[in-house]
Amino acid sequence: MEIPYVVTPRKDTGLFNSKIAIWLFLASEVMLFGGFFSAYVFLRLGADYPWPERTLPVLPGLINTFVLIGSSVTVVFAWASLKLREWRKFQLFMGITVGCAMIFMVLKGVEYNVKLHHQALKLKDYSVVEGHLGVESEDGKPVLDHKGSTIEENLIFVEASKLTFDTVRFYKPWVEELSAQAEHHHSKVALAADVTAITKVGQPAEVIAKAGEPLSVELLNRIQAAHLAARSHNAANRTEALRAEWVTAKAANPGKKGWQIASGVNIDMAALAPTLLGEISTVSFSVDPPAKLDFRPRDIKAAEGQSRLRDDTVVDGKLLASPMVFHHIDAIDFQHLVMKAKEKGIDPEVAIENSWPMKNSAFVRDAWAWHQGEIKKLSAELLEAHGVGKNGKPRYVPTHKELYRIGWKDLAKMAEDHGRAKLSGVDAAKEEFFGPNYEARGDETFPGFSVPREQVGFASKFTPAWNTYYAIYFTITGLHGLHVIGGALVLAYYLFFGKKMYLSNPEWLANRVEIGGLFWHFVDLVWIFVFPILYLM
Amino acid sequence: MADTPEAIKKSVRTYMFVGAILFVGTIVTVLVATVPWLDFGHHGFDAMDCILGLTIATFKASLVAFIFMHLNHEKKAVYWLFASGLCMVCSLAGLTALALGDPIFDKFFYSGH
Repeated sequence: MEIPYVVTPRKDTGLFNSKIAIWLFLASEVMLFGGFFSAYVFLRLGADYPWPERTLPVLPGLINTFVLIGSSVTVVFAWASLKLREWRKFQLFMGITVGCAMIFMVLKGVEYNVKLHHQALKLKDYSVVEGHLGVESEDGKPVLDHKGSTIEENLIFVEASKLTFDTVRFYKPWVEELSAQAEHHHSKVALAADVTAITKVGQPAEVIAKAGEPLSVELLNRIQAAHLAARSHNAANRTEALRAEWVTAKAANPGKKGWQIASGVNIDMAALAPTLLGEISTVSFSVDPPAKLDFRPRDIKAAEGQSRLRDDTVVDGKLLASPMVFHHIDAIDFQHLVMKAKEKGIDPEVAIENSWPMKNSAFVRDAWAWHQGEIKKLSAELLEAHGVGKNGKPRYVPTHKELYRIGWKDLAKMAEDHGRAKLSGVDAAKEEFFGPNYEARGDETFPGFSVPREQVGFASKFTPAWNTYYAIYFTITGLHGLHVIGGALVLAYYLFFGKKMYLSNPEWLANRVEIGGLFWHFVDLVWIFVFPILYLM
Repeated sequence: MADTPEAIKKSVRTYMFVGAILFVGTIVTVLVATVPWLDFGHHGFDAMDCILGLTIATFKASLVAFIFMHLNHEKKAVYWLFASGLCMVCSLAGLTALALGDPIFDKFFYSGH
């Protein structure tokens, strides 16, 4: 079958079919990205925290912009080469375009990787520290979990003596995890007592599981099956009894509405009891000897004596010290603390002086003192350059971010001012991509930092969970990245599988490349806005 | 749109020129945002930086749309399609502006009164 209007234009639109299709698609794409940019504006104006202005490293974004602009030029060159019937040139330019797409995605991957491994912590007083967490170690060697992986120093430890599972809600991977952890610590997790229940009406209670049986998903499944069967049976019995009660009540109250007699309709539970089976909603296991079990903070609501997991498993035992330990910190940020202090009418300087990091870390105090000196210098420079306004005050003053955030570049500068090594050349360029180089700059520049669990307000890697800025950043750039991948696949298809069409109908291939190119230009066009909005504003 | 070989060869030179402008425009955007003596308006990021950055971005995007995507000599149908998309975006932006009057932006609701 011949497909019409792949080369010649339709008379009504003046366009060949795929062109009208791609423009329809691009119009919908304009609306899609326009919606996300509107969302960005909305989130930024409505943020109840200091918006992270100019927080992303500019260099990777700038290089990616060059890469995309370059690819936009080469894709249009590829199209022109086809129009001029120059196949080799088409291959060259299209190859460069696809190569640019790969470079873009690699750089984007590096950027994402840095973000997803960079830890942020908001303390309960709203001061923020950023850096990288250490790993649990003993005698200088990293401690490995039961899977052989290192353990990040952001776990909550409980010396568990008893585990009580909800027989319906228990989460199987966690059961296996807890069993394995206990085994790793040479502890035995076994049923604390016989699990008995009436499983047949009129019969005595039956032992479903015996005390001492080790914890396993199979055992919990067996108890769950008995529980669900009993629950289903009991529910049916209760419904039947209630139905009978309603029939009796209606007969005794003719002419009355249901709502008028509802309060008097009750099941006689004492009479019903002999027909019910035994439900087993929870089941307890002893941990002998008590074992130090670890939990990710997001999975547990920790409390002294008894903690609860998200699947309603209750962990009995002593809550052990579980500090959040940064191997290196690379930023100290008081912006949010100051914002909160101002809302309460508290002097920001007083609030900072009384913050937990200032009271408990000599390094933070030194950094803050050094930073105050830098701010004085900056204020003087601004005053000298721009003078005072009509109100007699300096026309320009340091920004909120400059005043209250000590970033990794500030900490590096402080160390250099104190005579420590200055990075240059490749090492300095690498820092622009990968963030602070802890190894090269050392612990004195980016020292360790430990925060007791009770001071932890909210902690997260730089993921969408951290704040709405990162949520919209990952949404827009992630969606854009998917477009880059999709566009590159289409263009690569023309590059590697277009020869046959070129030989049979070169104009058709040229039209197809034009369509692919239009999409590619749109991807570039979106990035032209993404770069200044997310990286420079 | 260029269709004859001569016209296409001429267009290639235009594409190179536009590519160069886009590179320069990108550098200017970064300089305006990062170099203190090019920082118009108040010190640090402010409305002026926002307007300037978005103006340059819009200029660059227009070049891509008009030259690379051939919008400078397209058929009417394409203009209608593209314009309808832009209208929808403007409507969305307008809705955002309307939402600024929403109580969600009122600090009263966060202050614990």
